[in-house]
Amino acid sequence: MSLSKSVTGSLLSAPTVLYMAVFFIVPSLILFAYSFWSAASYQVVPDFVLKNYLGSLTSPLFWKVTFNAISIGLWTATITLILAIPVAYYLVYVARSQTILYLILLTWFSSYLVRIYAWRTLLGTNGVLNTVLLQLGIIDHPVGAFLFSSFAVTITLVHIYLPFCILLVVASLSEIKRDLIDAARDLGTSSIGAFCKVIAPNAANGLIGAFMLTFILVAGDYVTPQMLGGSSGQTTGLLIADQFRKTGNWPLGAAQAFLMFLVSLAIYFALLTAGRMSGLVVHRPRKKKEA
Amino acid sequence: MKAPTPIIEIRDGKKSFGSFVALENINLTIHEGEILTLLGPSGCGKTTLMRLIAGFEGLTSGTLRVSGEDVAAVPPERRPVNMVFQRYALFPHLDVFENVAFGLKVKGLAKSEITERVKRMLHIVQLESLANRYIDELSGGQCQRVALARALVNEPKVLLLDEPLAALDLKIRQHMLAEMKRIHAETGATFIYVTHDQDEAMILSDRVVLMEKGRIVQIDRPEDMYARPKSLFAAKFLGETNLFETAVADSGAQGTVAKTASGIGFLSRNGAGHKAGDKVVVSIRPESFSFANNDEGSSQKTQGQVEDVVFIGSRSFYTVRLDDQAKIRIQVQRNGRVKPPEPGSRATIYWDADNVVMLPQA
Ligand SMILES: Nc1ncnc2c1ncn2[C@@H]1O[C@H](COP(=O)(O)OP(=O)(O)O)[C@@H](O)[C@H]1O
Ligand SMILES: [Mg+2]
Repeated sequence: MSLSKSVTGSLLSAPTVLYMAVFFIVPSLILFAYSFWSAASYQVVPDFVLKNYLGSLTSPLFWKVTFNAISIGLWTATITLILAIPVAYYLVYVARSQTILYLILLTWFSSYLVRIYAWRTLLGTNGVLNTVLLQLGIIDHPVGAFLFSSFAVTITLVHIYLPFCILLVVASLSEIKRDLIDAARDLGTSSIGAFCKVIAPNAANGLIGAFMLTFILVAGDYVTPQMLGGSSGQTTGLLIADQFRKTGNWPLGAAQAFLMFLVSLAIYFALLTAGRMSGLVVHRPRKKKEA
Repeated sequence: MKAPTPIIEIRDGKKSFGSFVALENINLTIHEGEILTLLGPSGCGKTTLMRLIAGFEGLTSGTLRVSGEDVAAVPPERRPVNMVFQRYALFPHLDVFENVAFGLKVKGLAKSEITERVKRMLHIVQLESLANRYIDELSGGQCQRVALARALVNEPKVLLLDEPLAALDLKIRQHMLAEMKRIHAETGATFIYVTHDQDEAMILSDRVVLMEKGRIVQIDRPEDMYARPKSLFAAKFLGETNLFETAVADSGAQGTVAKTASGIGFLSRNGAGHKAGDKVVVSIRPESFSFANNDEGSSQKTQGQVEDVVFIGSRSFYTVRLDDQAKIRIQVQRNGRVKPPEPGSRATIYWDADNVVMLPQA
C-alpha cells in the first residue's frame, strides 16, 4: 500500500510544523496579546490598551534607536552583500570547490563574544587602528570615536555576518548555470555585463533574500550595539531587550518588537518594489501551461 | 567550383587542463559556408574544441585564426562566432522574443531594427506564435529552435552547434535535421556541428572531422569516411562493419591479397601501402556482402551457414556462420530477382575487391 502524496507530505512536514507552532507561532501570539496588556510594577496585567504602541510611536527615543537600528542594518547588509557577491561568484563559477567555502564557514567556530572583544582591542584608544594612524602621523592623539560608535558596530557586524551572507549568496548563485554567463558573453556582453544582465536578474530573489536576512539579523542584534555602540549606538533590539530584562515592561517590549517587525516588512517591500521598478527583479505573471 | 575560402584555421593546437591533455595535434581548416561536423565518442574533446573557437578557452599552444586573424587575445564577445550550447543555456528571466533579441540589444541597435530582425528570425524557426512565452513553458524542440534563433539573429560568420539535438527524441531530431539544413541554406553561415551520433553527421555534413581521445583521426566527406575509413576506430565508429584478422600474402598490380588464419582470402583495391607479411584487419560493410554473384570478374566468395534473418522493411539482416566459425552480418536490399537463402541453409557469399578495406591493427 502506498500513501497518497498529500498524506506523505503532511507526515514529512509534521515535526517541523509542530515545532514551529509550539515554539514560534504560539509564543508570538502570546507576545502579540501581551502588547495590548499593561504593566504595573513588574507585573503584567491583562488589559486592552493601545498605549504601548502609541507611546512607542510618539517616543523620540524609540524613533532614534529604530533609525539607528535600520541605518546600521542597511549599512551592514549593503556592505556585507557587496563583499559577499564577488566571493560567492568566485566560489561558484571560478573555483568550483567546497574547500574554500568550508574555510569561510570555519570562522563561525570562534565565539561571537570573542570576536566582539577582538574588535574592541582593534578599535580602542590603545588599539591597533589608533597605533597605526599615530605612527603614520595621520592623527596626533588617539581617536576615541572608533570605539563606541555606529562605525564600530557596523564594522563588527559585517565581520560577524559576512560568512552567513556568503553562504546565502552561494546558494542563490548555485542555481544559475555557468552556461548562462558563457551564453551572454557569446552574445556580446563583457563579463561584468553578463553578471548584471543575466546573473543578477536570475539571482535577484536570492540576493534580496540574503540582504533581508542579514538586515533582519543585524537590526535585531543587541549584543554588539551594547558592547560597542556606546550611548549613540543604541538600537531597537537593545531597547526591546531592556524592556524585558531591566524595566520589566513586557507589554511595551512586545509592542516594540511588533513595530520593528512591521518596519522590517515595510523595508522588504520597499526593496522589492525598487527592484521591480528598476527592472532588476523580474516579476513574471505566471501563465497557465496549455495541456 | 571556386576554391573554398578558409574561415577558421587551427595549427598544431594543443589544450591542457592542468596535467590533463584534452586536445593535441589539432590541425584543421574550416571553409566558409560549409557544414563541418566534429564527430567522436563522449569525452574526446569536441566541446573543448568548440569552446576554443568561441573564445571561452585559450589554446595551451598553437594558433587559431578566424578570417586570417590570430584571435588568441580576442575575448568571446568580440569574435564573429555564435554558439548554440549543449544544454541551450537560454535565459530563464526573459521570454522567447527577449532571448532572441539579447545579442542585438547588447550591440545597441535601434529598437525598430531589433524588432524586425527578431521577427524575421522567429519566422525562420517557426516560433512567431510563441514570442511571449517564457523558457520553462517550452518543449525541448522549441527550446532548441530558440537557441538556434538567438545565435543566428546576430548573423555570425560561424555558428557553433554543440550536440543541439542530443536532448530530443528521434522523430523531432529528424525533423530538426532537415530544418537545420534549410536554415543553413537560407543564411549561408558556416556551421560547425558537434555530435556523437554518426547518422546526424552523415546526413548533415559536407565534411566530417572524426576525433578520438583529443586527436583528429580523419577528416573526410561522410561518404568517403564511410567507404574508406583510415583506421580501425573510424571503421567501427561509423556504421556497422565485419572485421577479419589477416596477414598480407601478396601485393601487386591487381591489388593486395590478405588471408585469415583459416585461409579465407581477400583481394582489396584499397590496400596499397601494405607489404607481404603485414598483419592487417580487413573491414567489409554488411551491405558489401551479397548472396548473388553480381560481377563475374572481380567477385570473391566463401561459404557459410545462414543462422538468423531479421527483416527491417525493405532490408534484411542475415547472420552467417562461416566455415571457420566466424560470424558475419550481411545486409540485403529486398528485390524480386534474387531469392535469398532460408535460415539453416548453406549459402555462398560474394563480395567485391572495391569494398574490401585493409586497416592497420590498432
Ligand atoms: N574545464 C575543464 N577542466 C578540466 N577538464 C576538462 C575541462 N573541460 C573539459 N575537460 C575534460 O576534457 C575532456 C574532453 O571534454 P569535452 O570537450 O567536454 O568532451 P566531449 O564534448 O567530446 O564529450 C574530458 O575528459 C573532460 O573531462
Ligand atoms: Mg560535449
